[in-house]
Amino acid sequence: SGELYCSLLNPRNVRFESINMKNVLHWSAPEGTGNGVLYKVKYSVYGVGKWIRKPECRNINRTWCDLSSETSDYEEQYYASVKAFLNGMFSDWVETSRFNPLTDTKIDPPLVSVSSTDKSISIVLTAPEKWKRSPEEESVSLLQVYPGLQYNVSVLNKKTKKRWFFSISNHTLVVPWLEPGTAYCVSAQIHVSTPLLDSGFSKEHCIATLKDK
Amino acid sequence: TAGNKIFHFGACRVSMSTTEIRAGFTAIKANIQARDPIRTLSILSYPHSLHKVQSSDRCCITHHLFNFYVDKVFKHCKTEDSFVNRKISSIANSFLSMKRKLGQCHEQNQCTCGQESTEKYKQILANYEGLNVTSAAMKSLGELDILLDWME
Repeated sequence: SGELYCSLLNPRNVRFESINMKNVLHWSAPEGTGNGVLYKVKYSVYGVGKWIRKPECRNINRTWCDLSSETSDYEEQYYASVKAFLNGMFSDWVETSRFNPLTDTKIDPPLVSVSSTDKSISIVLTAPEKWKRSPEEESVSLLQVYPGLQYNVSVLNKKTKKRWFFSISNHTLVVPWLEPGTAYCVSAQIHVSTPLLDSGFSKEHCIATLKDK
Repeated sequence: TAGNKIFHFGACRVSMSTTEIRAGFTAIKANIQARDPIRTLSILSYPHSLHKVQSSDRCCITHHLFNFYVDKVFKHCKTEDSFVNRKISSIANSFLSMKRKLGQCHEQNQCTCGQESTEKYKQILANYEGLNVTSAAMKSLGELDILLDWME
């Protein structure tokens, strides 16, 4: 007599979501399943033969798994895969597309700090750091990962609504010949030309130039 | 061309733009890589990543790889998708122009080939010839970002 073969529908939309190279595997539960579904995860380095299980993501009920540590070498590319379980039934392994940390990560906006004199404002920009395993680990700026990294800076005169745009490689910018006693708002974005990666713009940092002496 | 950059390959300096190649490849990357089911082999990175190549050998390896892609990859990458085919031919044209520029360095003996680059290129050819032509060409095309990441 035929063996009853019950299989579970597959996890859906299995993909990496990466910000500043914090690489987290995400997926959606199999269609029509409520609570109680468990998952396990494995990953592999492209070009290397074996799949490696992720113990911390074995028999989990959440639908994400942080693989940042396993995918931290951005000179390599990776695949990851998820399998679902429920009441003795299980799905197929469902794989991501090939993940390239260098080109497939998103970059946060830079940190912006501003100061002013009566006729100028000084802007200091700091690129975000690459994800790291622990606070004790040495920080790596994304500037080191993307040597061609540039900053697009927007400066808005709140009174006249006039806006200037600057594109700079340096991390500091002094905007001269401004009006004393006037509020200016600064916002900045990171631009990497190859591979093409743009962060969003930072929130605005407003400051007033000093009044005339 | 927009996005021209000076690439330094040892003594050889070449002004090129990889921006269009990157954009073209990004547009078809998922499609092309989905056609490559072999996870366990990489044409360019097996057994060692391109990043392990010494800087003195960069020019020679790059020169070899441009020839490799023009002579052995693009022509074997026809698909049923006209959009993908157009992107592939646009990338191929960009490679032809880069190949010409780097060829000038080769002619001026600024692109010497050491043992390491010779060995590395032999390994790449061996990886390529270990598969049937279409699979090998499609896998190589899917690894274009590996080459670009290393070049840049």
